[in-house]
Amino acid sequence: MNEDSLVDDPELLNEYLNESQEIIDNLDEDLVRLENTPDDLELLNKIFRGIHTLKGTSGFLALDQMVRLTHKGEDVLNSLRKGERRVTPTIMDVILSAVDFVKLLHTRIKAGDKQPVDLEPIIARLDAVMASTEGIPTSPPPPKEKKLGEILVEEKVISEEALESALKQQKKVGEILVKKKLVSSDQVEEALKRQEEVRRKVEEREGTQVIRIDVKRLDAIMNLVGELVLERNRLMQLNRDIRSRAGTEQFEDDLARSSARLNFITTELQQGILKTRMLPIERVFKKFPRMIRDISREMGKEVDLAVSGEETEMDKSVLDELNDPLVHLLRNSVDHGIEPPEVREAAGKARRGTVHLKASHQGNYINIRVADDGKGIDAEVLGRKAVEKGLITEEKLRSMSQKDKMELIFLPGFSTAEKVSNVSGRGVGMDVVKTNVTKLNGIIDIDSQSGRGTEITLKLPLTLAIMQSLLVAAGQDIYAIPLSSVIETVRVQQEEIRMVDRVRVLRLRNTVLPIVSLRRIFKSHADSGTEPPGQFYVVVTAVADKRFGIAVDRLIGQEEIVIKSLGEYLGDVRGIAGATIMGDGRVTLIVDTARLLALSH
Amino acid sequence: MPLDTAATELRKPDELLQLVSFRLADEEFGIDILKVQEIIRMVDMTRVPNSPEFVEGVINLRGRIIPIIALRKRFGVEPRPPDKRTRIMVVEVDRKTIGFIVDSVSEVLRIPRSTVEPTPEVVSSVNAEYISGVGKLEDRLLILLDLNRLLTGSERSLLEGAAR
Repeated sequence: MNEDSLVDDPELLNEYLNESQEIIDNLDEDLVRLENTPDDLELLNKIFRGIHTLKGTSGFLALDQMVRLTHKGEDVLNSLRKGERRVTPTIMDVILSAVDFVKLLHTRIKAGDKQPVDLEPIIARLDAVMASTEGIPTSPPPPKEKKLGEILVEEKVISEEALESALKQQKKVGEILVKKKLVSSDQVEEALKRQEEVRRKVEEREGTQVIRIDVKRLDAIMNLVGELVLERNRLMQLNRDIRSRAGTEQFEDDLARSSARLNFITTELQQGILKTRMLPIERVFKKFPRMIRDISREMGKEVDLAVSGEETEMDKSVLDELNDPLVHLLRNSVDHGIEPPEVREAAGKARRGTVHLKASHQGNYINIRVADDGKGIDAEVLGRKAVEKGLITEEKLRSMSQKDKMELIFLPGFSTAEKVSNVSGRGVGMDVVKTNVTKLNGIIDIDSQSGRGTEITLKLPLTLAIMQSLLVAAGQDIYAIPLSSVIETVRVQQEEIRMVDRVRVLRLRNTVLPIVSLRRIFKSHADSGTEPPGQFYVVVTAVADKRFGIAVDRLIGQEEIVIKSLGEYLGDVRGIAGATIMGDGRVTLIVDTARLLALSH
Repeated sequence: MPLDTAATELRKPDELLQLVSFRLADEEFGIDILKVQEIIRMVDMTRVPNSPEFVEGVINLRGRIIPIIALRKRFGVEPRPPDKRTRIMVVEVDRKTIGFIVDSVSEVLRIPRSTVEPTPEVVSSVNAEYISGVGKLEDRLLILLDLNRLLTGSERSLLEGAAR
């Protein structure tokens, strides 16, 4: 059947998509919890209800494929719910992959792709669970047709891992078909292009995503708007009275009071609106238990994920960028950090490793900590690897501190995994983390003790729309530097700047900071970048894992700014992240701290 | 797609074209009135480093940030300091809002399409690439600018070059 009957009503479809997305988001997390607590009937019922709702609404929209799949899934869940079967890893695998198909269907519907998905394999697997005695307590297994691999695994001829890796060697269907000359590679290309198109369409739709807002928050905003209107009326009245009352003390008092209230209401309103964009980080976190489960199973490790601070709220735009870095950090922890159970026992540790994932607020920032109790990072090994790979020189390595060496893992193309696994070790992971965190104006801190574990902390701004900035002057111009990347400011004399390896540096306490001069980088076409005055300021800045100093003429002050784009026409201007409008109406450019350092070379 | 609209429009001869005319150096130019959002006086602007030389800066237009192009620099005509008649023409092209600094804005004109001729080989100091036609008025010539091409053609590569 096709999938298009009622789907023509975009509003209805949107509502369906949002509702089902929520159910799907919850499913993974709940199912993994269920595997650990198979007797939790309440949880089982919750999962069952979710699938049931999904079936119901899909049926209403005549999304037949979704109905068929959820119906089969419901059968299995129902049998678990009624206590006919117990949850086993095998059943869970089937259910989880059925959920994956539900997600696939959901994506297709979202993209408006009416091509049916081949559900037969997964339906067959669900049916097989129902037909088998899997999970049925104490009854001998009746003979049934089995796959060759399953039999071999059962008879312990090969391990499950060996089977899986053998299965993985199976070629992609496109490659096989081309080889057999059943299709031309052009046709495969064409099909792949179509697939890509669907993916793009989904992304486009996601561009107009909706956000759910607690009615209480909207009410609060409404109240504030009401107060704003009252305050406007007061001000208008004062304006009308200006002739008769100007100069009187009473008038000045009234005006001062009115301005103060306006200030208060605006601030509150700003906070209120910002809050509507705030979402709990749970939305990202809840995928991870399933992911950790899958990876540790694949790697033959035993890992618990301890999540805390899921209720911490942050701006949707920040949240959206957070998924990929966290995926990499968690994968790294399981793959590189946590040792296999035997190794752990031999080292006198608990057999099961633990990965902590914790989010917390700290002022205008959010801290996200990923910590594992694995083998830690050996800074010496990192250093040697980096030299072997030609990423740094032997000489440089000798001058590096323990911390510097640790930060080598952020270099692109760095990977310490001896073998490249499906999970990590491709040498891109930490680079991705760094790129995303940099995009968000965040800071990465890494701490590790050999044999004890690794702890990586991301410090990110709560929102990207509004930020605290430090206003500085360079020559004739004024620039705003995001305060989230500023560590401190120092006043220096020209003589304190030294040249090392053709790089200008400042020795500050125990560190040597490369110095980037705003005047030089932002020089105009007319002047060739004059030197700053004899005495100037250095803004000590951190971008992801890097620390450096920005030389400016003067510090002007701190200000909360609203970020605006420079527009499509100018596009990406080197060293400029955007612009903001100041109280006097002038435009001030915002420095792109992340790219400043690269520009100076 | 928008690149050749000007050319196709020229094929309907009896229609009236509504144009805003402005002066730059010693020449008079016209642009489609529908593309013009507003005309404002010269204001202070914020210089944008690492942008092409003809980008004079950005201004705040009622809360929106708009890039301003010095059309003299863009066309390679000798720049001159702004005076009382200098204006910024804010236009919208391809959903992008941009301001042009011109010497002065003259008037709103209506001319029949039939009086517009395709671009001759040599007509002005401006690259023929940016001209969609020449309008013949009673006593003078009006150069019709193709804004789409002006802002998207070789310009794009220039800007991208600067961004890199």
